[in-house]
Amino acid sequence: MGENNTAGFYEDGLHTLDDKAFEDLYRRMHPTLKRYAIYLVKDIEEAQLILNDVFIAIWKNKVRLMNEKAYLFRAVKNGANNYHKISRTSFRNLEDEEIQDVVDLKADPFQTYMYKDRARMLYHLIDQMPERRRLIFYMYRIEGFSYKEIATLLDISVRTVEDHLVKGFQFLQEKVLKNEAEFR
Amino acid sequence: MDQETWKLVLDYLSAKEQGKVEELADLGVRLQNWLHKDPQHQQELDQAMQLWEQTAIIPQTEAWKESFDHIQFLLQTERPQRSKTFIIWSAAAAVIAAMAMFLLFNMNREAALPVNQIAWITKTSSPGKITNIMLPDSSEIWLNSGSSISFPDNIKIANFRTVKLSGEAFFKVKRDPKHPFIVHSLNIQTQVLGTSFNIRAWQKSSPEVTVLTGKVAVSRDSAGLQSKAIHLLPNQKGICDLKSGQLHLEDVEDAGFAIGWIEGKMTFDQMPMETVFETIERRYGVKIVTEQAFKACNLTAKFGNVSINEVLKTIQMTLDISYTINKQTIYIKGGKCN
Repeated sequence: MGENNTAGFYEDGLHTLDDKAFEDLYRRMHPTLKRYAIYLVKDIEEAQLILNDVFIAIWKNKVRLMNEKAYLFRAVKNGANNYHKISRTSFRNLEDEEIQDVVDLKADPFQTYMYKDRARMLYHLIDQMPERRRLIFYMYRIEGFSYKEIATLLDISVRTVEDHLVKGFQFLQEKVLKNEAEFR
Repeated sequence: MDQETWKLVLDYLSAKEQGKVEELADLGVRLQNWLHKDPQHQQELDQAMQLWEQTAIIPQTEAWKESFDHIQFLLQTERPQRSKTFIIWSAAAAVIAAMAMFLLFNMNREAALPVNQIAWITKTSSPGKITNIMLPDSSEIWLNSGSSISFPDNIKIANFRTVKLSGEAFFKVKRDPKHPFIVHSLNIQTQVLGTSFNIRAWQKSSPEVTVLTGKVAVSRDSAGLQSKAIHLLPNQKGICDLKSGQLHLEDVEDAGFAIGWIEGKMTFDQMPMETVFETIERRYGVKIVTEQAFKACNLTAKFGNVSINEVLKTIQMTLDISYTINKQTIYIKGGKCN
């Protein structure tokens, strides 16, 4: 790609969303956003439908969002609110089904092996946390939301968010220490 | 670490990540005070920081793919045709966006992302030779003939000391509980903190890990996904059956036999002749050509550090073979199993 093309683009101010960018966006947002939707509606299939609607709407607009993260989470929240207005289906137990998402991995490239392996182990532990704590962890560490942003998205207090994170990190530290002790 | 301290650490790390200088100074002082209270605290803080960094990376999964395909499918019916130039333009946009995002991401999370490339160093022992290698972390490795080992150039500073082995090697791992030592060989992985053990992982045979001192964890390792580990103690070995893929544990009389090869010894215990010949080929750097396949033929024998002639004489007596040596090639004729 030439320099001119690049320049031309910004002059046009055209930030088009193409197939690849769309896929990237979905892949990047899926882990946390899906968990968020599940947390809100307590139903895996319903959560996916909300995600579908949100992403289909984005595609139709074909414009890159300025703050896609904030937009997506708000959109999912709205979607969930509508869902609650329409139906009141009974809750399902989803803990087991959902955990699958993170464990199965096909990563080998040895260059990043050490880091990935560690992260995988940690996220395996994170996925064992209670649902809300787990979600807060994803929102905080993966999406980089602040306590306040998380509190707003989950309709809980900032203190509760902090409390969950502190307990979550404590849990991780204990588990990691225990793992290491096993080898001594 | 107690909750109060975790709060402080999280505040500190958040402030650091967001570049809030004033808050950072204040939090830094409070953290220092806590550190001075107990020498143990530094270690706890290091670990907390590690957890912080390591949780910033989410393991890649394919979980998104299926639902994304479905979305694509839903969109297909209403997707308008687009011109070719448009596609080129949008590809350009994607690249720019990706670059911009990459930059942004990196600025925010410098410490969290391992971006630098790691070079792998490979050492090989040619047939007939045993190589002694000292890794940068002071771990020692004896590499059997016809084997090779690779390790990253950053092994000394990496969180995990990862090496890859093809063939057989004896490891004396420098003890460092903070940085587990991991060996990948065939379809197993062996994890230790500081011990000595032997790994046999020749192609086409079931890999074995024999422990001499300390404790090791062995697990199956397929496509990066580990099975539950089995833990081995001295004079035990873990075997991963090549066919079933099952890991099991066996007691051995004397793990010392497993590393006899370091002194040029060979020990065969009901070993298929095919494997025996392969071992001899590697040990003496020769090529063995046989008339028959010696299928279902096993050999039990112990050889000290002796010449190849002596080895062949013994086999001659046990299996009733005749042999001729032509330079580095040995021709074996006849032979029958007992």
